[in-house]
Amino acid sequence: MLEVPFRHRPLLLLTAVLLIQILLLAFEIRRGDNARLIRIWAVEIVTPWQRAGTWVGSTLHSGWKDYVDLHHARVENQQLREQITKLAIRNHQLESQAREQERLERLLNFREAYPSVNMLAAEVIGANADASSQTLYINRGQRDGLARDMGVITPDGIVGKTLEVFAGTAQVLLINDKESGVGAMLASSRTHGVVKGLGQAQLRMDYVPNDEKMSNGEAVVTSGDDQIFPKDLPIGTVAGASAGNPFKIIFIQPAVRLDRLEEVLVLLSRDELAPQNMGEGSNSGGAPVTNAPAAASGVPQ
Amino acid sequence: MRSAHAMRMEMRGGPHVEVYHYSAVFVVVTALLAVVIQAFLGRLGPVGKFVELPLLVTIYFGLSRRNASRGLLLGMTIGLMQDGISRVPVGLYGISKTVVGYLSSTIGARIDVEHPLSRLAFGFIFFHVQQVVLAATQRVLLGRPVPFFDRRLLLASLVNAVLAPLLFPLLDRFRKAD
Repeated sequence: MLEVPFRHRPLLLLTAVLLIQILLLAFEIRRGDNARLIRIWAVEIVTPWQRAGTWVGSTLHSGWKDYVDLHHARVENQQLREQITKLAIRNHQLESQAREQERLERLLNFREAYPSVNMLAAEVIGANADASSQTLYINRGQRDGLARDMGVITPDGIVGKTLEVFAGTAQVLLINDKESGVGAMLASSRTHGVVKGLGQAQLRMDYVPNDEKMSNGEAVVTSGDDQIFPKDLPIGTVAGASAGNPFKIIFIQPAVRLDRLEEVLVLLSRDELAPQNMGEGSNSGGAPVTNAPAAASGVPQ
Repeated sequence: MRSAHAMRMEMRGGPHVEVYHYSAVFVVVTALLAVVIQAFLGRLGPVGKFVELPLLVTIYFGLSRRNASRGLLLGMTIGLMQDGISRVPVGLYGISKTVVGYLSSTIGARIDVEHPLSRLAFGFIFFHVQQVVLAATQRVLLGRPVPFFDRRLLLASLVNAVLAPLLFPLLDRFRKAD
């Protein structure tokens, strides 16, 4: 048997391996069958790894993408929250401005409805410091022509009267203060009485005879007897009535939300409020008014 | 304990060259991974197509194990697997990698190939050796005018030359000295 030297064995193996592969290649080219068996083996060996690699790759990619998406979502969420907060504040400001606009428009309409009445718009700048009295401060004073005992109203009805008047501010005694009293009458029967404050949200009307008939919701207006408010300004509506001794006990719901006042009108004279045109701007509830001196303020003059 | 090959080299008065061993599982898994990753690299576009991981693995084991028979057989196996999952006639990469496996093992048995620069040089040279064998085989057996050398091949050889000193130290971590 032919003995192959040890050092020539690799070379012999190389020759054999190359020859086999060249024959394989030539055979494949000639037959064109694409050496299907070797391809099957190769694919069978490689594809499970490829599949595993693809799975690992896609899992990692998906995990990374989820992480990145989550991170982006968190950042976006934070940005959106900040945006919502800003928009909420902005929205609140706009709503506040819209409400202020509406109030000012009503004041303006009211004044335009009574051009002959001397009145001055004022802004509420503060309330009373103790719970026992119902007063507030406005940004008008002696410099603007204000004096003690001037009527303070809104387009909805009366608010109170000026109490202490300073150079640039004035204290207003609200109609629900215990010290307050307003000449009043029932709008339908014209029965006179006095509306007094109780220190609470509701008012009380005194000096109305027990035989006087009235119903809840009936309007109560100023009578002009107090020399402060002109006649026929709305005070409120009857909220409840019962027989008393010697007069009826009548509770009145004020026409104005006294705890939410922001702008008011001060009546500089006691002229009767005769509307310029009965067909327009009568949102005062039929109350009469005059023009006021201009003053620097955010509210219409 | 030294291998018979190392002892023979020493007895002949040649330089002492360290021979390394690897577990069979590691060799098989590395060879398989090289082919699998190569298939993925093809999807990464032009840059991925420049890389020839199966070739680098063939060179590495040839240079490190310094056994010509094992080197050529591993080259043949890797080449045939590469052929099997490619659209080329089976045997093309088999032949070229058989030659590369044989030559790298033969050279590795004679000179020290640990230095990064020599690894870079082997990456470059063996890429072109493979290309020459591939081109010659296709020209002779298939009648295709495949170039032996062009600019794209030069670029690809440079990419693989750079990758060799980066990849080989990673594989060195799994070797066991003789």
